[in-house]
Amino acid sequence: MAERPEDLNLPNAVITRIVKEALPDGVNISKEARSAISRAASVFVLYATSCANNFAVKGKRKTLNASDVLSAMEEMEFQRFVAPLKESLEVYRREQKGKKEARKDKDKKTDSEEQDKSREDENDDDDERMEEEEQNDEEELDN
Amino acid sequence: PPPGRGARLPLARVKALVKADPDVSLASQEAVFVLARATELFVETIAKDAYVYAQQGKRKTLQRKDLDNAIEAIDEFAFLE
Repeated sequence: MAERPEDLNLPNAVITRIVKEALPDGVNISKEARSAISRAASVFVLYATSCANNFAVKGKRKTLNASDVLSAMEEMEFQRFVAPLKESLEVYRREQKGKKEARKDKDKKTDSEEQDKSREDENDDDDERMEEEEQNDEEELDN
Repeated sequence: PPPGRGARLPLARVKALVKADPDVSLASQEAVFVLARATELFVETIAKDAYVYAQQGKRKTLQRKDLDNAIEAIDEFAFLE
């Protein structure tokens, strides 16, 4: 994995769409400008991650959480992002909760055969978290 | 777009960037989500700030030099230099 972090680009189509929606109708963006924005966005993620990680370390936590990222925004002088980010986070949390409850409802209506299936579903959540942990275990070894 | 919308940037790619940092052990899904949303807000911001220079040049196409000018002029973008 010899690629530099800045080479981990975000999809061009998405960047272009975000830019076009931010600007007035009829405004275009050159390919070079789009590349520059894309690279800037990658650097932003890297820098924000590093800032956020400082807060996690200060809090003696090994897992970077949402409030670390919000603290990083303030530190990076992007305070005006904090309010809209909090709103987005609320919606995200409700959606995630809704997904979990949909699975739990499925559990309640079931017989033993489906209970086996829903146990798999519950494990999916754990698998998502564990997947991060497993991957990070690998990374700790590499580092 | 309403502030409550979900992220358009794929979380997997944002997560890949987070994992590129050797000092980071673990990041919660929420953290990755907030980072993705913050990056979208950042892209909107830098595009708008750069566009000011395109307007000054009476252009309707955002160019690389507009980005360079915005990055040089605006303190919050100093980390990009």
